[in-house]
Amino acid sequence: MGIRFNQVSYEYPSFAEGLYSAIRNINLEITEKNEFIALVGHTGSGKSTLAKHMNALIFPTSGSLEIYGNIITAKRNRKVKYNSIRKKVGLVFQFPEYQLFEETVEKDIMFGPMNFKITQEEAKKKAKEALNLVGLDDSYLSRNPYNLSGGEKKRVSIAGILAMDPDILILDEPTSGLDPAGRRVLMNLFQDINKKTGKTIVIITHDMDLVYQYFNRVLVLNDGNLIFDGEPEKLFRSEDLIKYHLDYPNTIKVLSHLNKELHLNLNIYQKTLEEALEEIKRGGLL
Amino acid sequence: MKSVIIGQYIPGKGLFYRLDPRTKIIAVLLIMIAVFLLESITHLLIGFGIAFMLLIIGRISVIKVIKGLKPIMILLIFTFIFQIILNREGEMIVNHEMYLTLYTALFLVLAFVVWRVLVKFTRFRFTMFFLFVAGVYLILRYVDFGYQLLSPFNFQVYEAGLRMSAFVVIRLLIIITLSTVLTLTTKPTNLTQGLEKLMHPLKKIGFNSEDFALIISISLRYIPTIFDEANKIMLAQASRGADFSEGKLKDKLKQVISLLVPMFIIAFMRSEELANAMESRNFVPGNKRTRINELIFSYRDVIATAFSVLVLALAIVLKVI
Amino acid sequence: MSYIEIRDLDFSYNGKKKVLESINLQVEKGEWIACLGHNGSGKSTLAKALVGLLEPELGEIEIDGLLLTEETAYEIRKKIGIVFQNPDNQFVGVTVRDDIAFGMENLCVPREEMIEKIDFYAKKVNMLDFLDKEPTNLSGGQKQQVAIAGILAMQSEIIIFDEATSMLDPFSREELIKYIRTLHKEGLTIIMITHDINEALLADKILVLNKGKIEAFEETEKIMKKREVFVESRLELPIALDLANALESNGNATKIRKKLWEYALTK
Repeated sequence: MGIRFNQVSYEYPSFAEGLYSAIRNINLEITEKNEFIALVGHTGSGKSTLAKHMNALIFPTSGSLEIYGNIITAKRNRKVKYNSIRKKVGLVFQFPEYQLFEETVEKDIMFGPMNFKITQEEAKKKAKEALNLVGLDDSYLSRNPYNLSGGEKKRVSIAGILAMDPDILILDEPTSGLDPAGRRVLMNLFQDINKKTGKTIVIITHDMDLVYQYFNRVLVLNDGNLIFDGEPEKLFRSEDLIKYHLDYPNTIKVLSHLNKELHLNLNIYQKTLEEALEEIKRGGLL
Repeated sequence: MKSVIIGQYIPGKGLFYRLDPRTKIIAVLLIMIAVFLLESITHLLIGFGIAFMLLIIGRISVIKVIKGLKPIMILLIFTFIFQIILNREGEMIVNHEMYLTLYTALFLVLAFVVWRVLVKFTRFRFTMFFLFVAGVYLILRYVDFGYQLLSPFNFQVYEAGLRMSAFVVIRLLIIITLSTVLTLTTKPTNLTQGLEKLMHPLKKIGFNSEDFALIISISLRYIPTIFDEANKIMLAQASRGADFSEGKLKDKLKQVISLLVPMFIIAFMRSEELANAMESRNFVPGNKRTRINELIFSYRDVIATAFSVLVLALAIVLKVI
Repeated sequence: MSYIEIRDLDFSYNGKKKVLESINLQVEKGEWIACLGHNGSGKSTLAKALVGLLEPELGEIEIDGLLLTEETAYEIRKKIGIVFQNPDNQFVGVTVRDDIAFGMENLCVPREEMIEKIDFYAKKVNMLDFLDKEPTNLSGGQKQQVAIAGILAMQSEIIIFDEATSMLDPFSREELIKYIRTLHKEGLTIIMITHDINEALLADKILVLNKGKIEAFEETEKIMKKREVFVESRLELPIALDLANALESNGNATKIRKKLWEYALTK
């Protein structure tokens, strides 16, 4: 089950260039359990378009995709319950301001579950659970979402999707605009949710340090083509990232600088600060 | 990424594109007044001919103007029909007996169904509409058999009715054609700037046309952005299971609110930031400013203005005589 | 007397919790200052206060010998321009040309002079080919470039970047930093508010704000040696410096430390 892309392309009319192709011939499979996937690519590479396909917010112009057994093609099919797909695959948009609208956090988080015909009590329970899952305590339930800090708003917006209990959670640049500490806290949270609940999580990001440290699978888009799907380390070893307007993780950059300047022979593929330090001690202090 | 066309402006080269927007606004106004002064149908037809000639001189595609007429077409048709039916002055020129029988009703329903189905599958919606109206007339006129639902009545057209309806329709056609030419060939920003300059004298009565024009041009600039944003908000709420196509009225209301509240709040934040940005660049409402886009009045504008004044003068002369 | 002087500045929104508290700061002409701090540390408030968009509760701001008041705000804004975070919310014009002109229009610059300056400054930020483009056809980075041109055209001598790179992708970010470098070389005073430590390292001095107070304000090289400042303010040091700090200073380690420092400071 999960999501399977079959030769999916998406084009839309653009006044500047005629038909603009956002993604091209994408073949991809995302399973419903335990995956933790990073989706990277420079601006305009088609990341968001790809994400919107995953819960049938937009339909492919050619090709098809299968989401939990539902076949999605260019034509809207009356038999497919698109709404139920969105319950299975949750998509959190980049700016929490796009979705927060109720006067209390509790009511706002309940909006999602309530759209799927459950009782008020159940929705309340789910709201509370989701809020705790994103690391906010019950005192937030009665607060006005617009008076929260940027990071807190982000969490509430994520809770709003989590309350629908999706199997797959997709987040569009959840860490943008946060300070480094906030970024790390949020990433740890996602990892935690992934481990605790087994939900598959897909995160769109620009931050290669995070990609290297947290993920075991990375998808790279360039001009609408999926050019890489695999382990991050394999990506950094094999592909020329600069060509795709992408950067290398800082550990790799620093260690290869040392190798070049001091003619050392360090293994540059170290994910964390600690690992890099060990490697320097091992290979550099002889 | 996607851009939205604002107004009806279509980039092009012809004569009207090179005219000063002020000239165009004034000329359209003068000719409109002239059209209202004309009283005989021949004069109006000549006026219509002139409007048509202007289209050709300006190398404006007639099809585009007709497309511009579309939204107003229904209004024209109803004006025409009402004038014909209700105006009972002058000589009677048509007097047809009409019937409404059981079969008539049946045929009418049939015609209606056929029309709606055809509209779904073909592109000639207006042609279809005309055919439907003609069909209704023919059915009422000639289907005289079967049980009579109403006693036969007379469809009468009087000379004055026909004249007046033709009059009104041609008048509207001229006016709409002219204003379409104006919006088709003038960028919205230039249009607002033209209006700003023309309304400048109103400053004496406290109306600041420059601020007004700035508000309009900023609104125009943000329409695509807000449109884009509304789309994203809709998708974000759809992601939370808000299905805008289904659901009960009560659910729908909530879904609409879930769209409107973020739109207003984001617009509010946006306007605050925009105001800050403008203030930091030394914008003070009401202060004197120079302008990068100057309107230039050239010999073409003189000719165009002279032409429109001439048309108005001619109309006045015809009226007085 | 310094070029920019902030004396005992306090600020709070409607008398509630202080967002800025006893800020004292001197910036010299031509300096490039980076301002770091966690979310909500008061960085953006400080930026807005500097251009007179917010009125301080206590204290004064003096720029180039002119005390910032309601009356002098207009004069001060001629000297100091600000590029905001959201590229979309500061683009006033319908086209690039109109937007660059906006500030000059407000200053009543004659039209001929405007045309010349627009060409000159558009060229400077590589937007000459885009003068007739509308904002919907521009990337976020390009919109920020236009904002810079608009400020330069007003002959400002100080530019504040209020998290101007935070909504851009890494590639456009680097582009924008290139322009900031050029401006610095040409003698403009730059105050750059950022979350990105690697960007901050490019500046001459770094100002660290923590909960509305100045935690430290020193030359970049000096402040980077003070790890405790960063820990205290919930900030992170660049990884090269974290590595350097963790190494002891003897034999080969000294050499490596030196290289790590070089790497961090010369990017």
